Amino acid sequence: MIELKNVTKIFNRGTINENVAIKGLSLKIDQYDFITVIGSNGAGKSTLLNLISGNLTPEYGEIFINDKNVTNLPVYVRASFIGQVFQDPLSGTAASLTIEENLAIALKRGKKRGLGLGVKRTDREFFKEQLSKLGLGLENRLKDRVGLLSGGQRQAVTLLMATLVKPEILLLDEHTAALDPKTAAKIIELTEYFVDEYKLTVLMVTHNMRQALSLGNRTIMMHEGEIILDVRSPERDTLQVKDLLEMFARVRGEELVDDKLLLA
Amino acid sequence: MSFYAFLGAIEQGLVYGIMALGVYITFRILDFPDLSVDGTFPLGASVAAVLIVHDINPYLSTIIAFFAGVVAGVITGILNTKLKILNLLSGILVMIALYSVNIRIMGQPNTSLLGYDTIFTPIEAFFGAERYMISPVVFLVVVIFLVIAMTWFFHTDIGLGMRGTGDNPKMVRAQGINHNFMVLLGLAFSNGLVALSGALVAQSQGSADVNMGIGTIVAGLASVILGEAFLDARTVFRGVLAVVLGSVVYRFAIAVALSFRVGSFQLNPSDLNLITAIIVTSALVSPGIKKVFKSRL
Repeated sequence: MIELKNVTKIFNRGTINENVAIKGLSLKIDQYDFITVIGSNGAGKSTLLNLISGNLTPEYGEIFINDKNVTNLPVYVRASFIGQVFQDPLSGTAASLTIEENLAIALKRGKKRGLGLGVKRTDREFFKEQLSKLGLGLENRLKDRVGLLSGGQRQAVTLLMATLVKPEILLLDEHTAALDPKTAAKIIELTEYFVDEYKLTVLMVTHNMRQALSLGNRTIMMHEGEIILDVRSPERDTLQVKDLLEMFARVRGEELVDDKLLLA
Repeated sequence: MSFYAFLGAIEQGLVYGIMALGVYITFRILDFPDLSVDGTFPLGASVAAVLIVHDINPYLSTIIAFFAGVVAGVITGILNTKLKILNLLSGILVMIALYSVNIRIMGQPNTSLLGYDTIFTPIEAFFGAERYMISPVVFLVVVIFLVIAMTWFFHTDIGLGMRGTGDNPKMVRAQGINHNFMVLLGLAFSNGLVALSGALVAQSQGSADVNMGIGTIVAGLASVILGEAFLDARTVFRGVLAVVLGSVVYRFAIAVALSFRVGSFQLNPSDLNLITAIIVTSALVSPGIKKVFKSRL
């Protein structure tokens, strides 16, 4: 279970560019929750994810993972609880390392790394089995450098790496936004497969409102650093995109003006 | 080129190859342009020379010189990772500081080893062979050991973490690796090797000099780049091997250039920097040249 208590994040504090990205936000993520996060640009969606992953530390408030206060723990310590997939398909894997070497790094997440061989023979069988789940034929390319793969293939490998050791929470930051529609659909399909297979807890940022409603069991909408809407199944099941837009207008008393949100 | 010059180029290529392996770790593996090596090379030489002059066992002295380099590397790493000083500047600061430190260590700008036992003395006595035959063999053994050790290390869990750190620090952190520690470890190992190379050079040429480190980084880079031009560094083993090969080729190229003569014109040792610049430039553009040839075929 993940809990954020009254978290505030301020960028460029004390300067003319001061920007309160997250305002006293509290959120409780239950085990097996699959939450989709929507909101216009600058609403604080990515900041929220970065606060949980430890890329950013809040000015106020506390963050708990399984009742452990992780507010000030660095990213690499928190990594034992967290799986991450980024928007840029190139940032989740190391291009100069082979597929099996990347997976070996992921297999040791949260464990002690020593001077044992990184990729052992027994690991190879396991990696092949896991890679075959992606359905991309990568199980026969263990020794290929990741730099040779396409963006979609790399994102699929990143997804596998994020779940190779079961995380307490999987953070997906618009992880299909930089892919073509067909590849994006494939990555979403894989995401659903992994979430189902390993019973994962997920926080997923998306710009696609239809996707936000069709995936997972809970949707939160953010605006100016606050959560303005938090709906779960079964209430969520009957919601349409236009309902979301209406709710937004009602809560904020203003029209939602973001082409990216409306067109998606 | 005489047989003597030929052996000399091999010997130099191998011993400076140890230094180039250190440069390879920082420049290629960690993506950290570490200029402190211009200071750690003479540091290794100074430490080894002073200890030998004080009747410490030359093998022990060489090992201590390696660890002196390790300490210098750790300092560069701390400046960068803990004090958040730009990587290039961290190296430069340590480099200039070491100039003074090296003179302090020796108590003078240079130390002669003439008449003292070095690591070569017992081996020469054992095989009854001359120095010019022994030292290339000794360096070859050290280089082979290092190539094997480095290939192994970069396939261990920590080694993978270090390679990942240079490639994609964001990913490495997300996978639970303390990337600052990896930078520190890589710098320590790298500068240790450079100091070891300095200690061996001092013993083979019979003296340590505070100025012997000038241009170390350029020679190291030249070796790395030349090696990659000759051998496609697809795997770690090939990459490491390419560095040693590059170092030997570099010394050969210099030896050839110095024996070059057209009419009354001849290149001098003072032209070395110009020669190095030309060698590195041609190595850098060589993949482009290869491509042009391929497309025409």
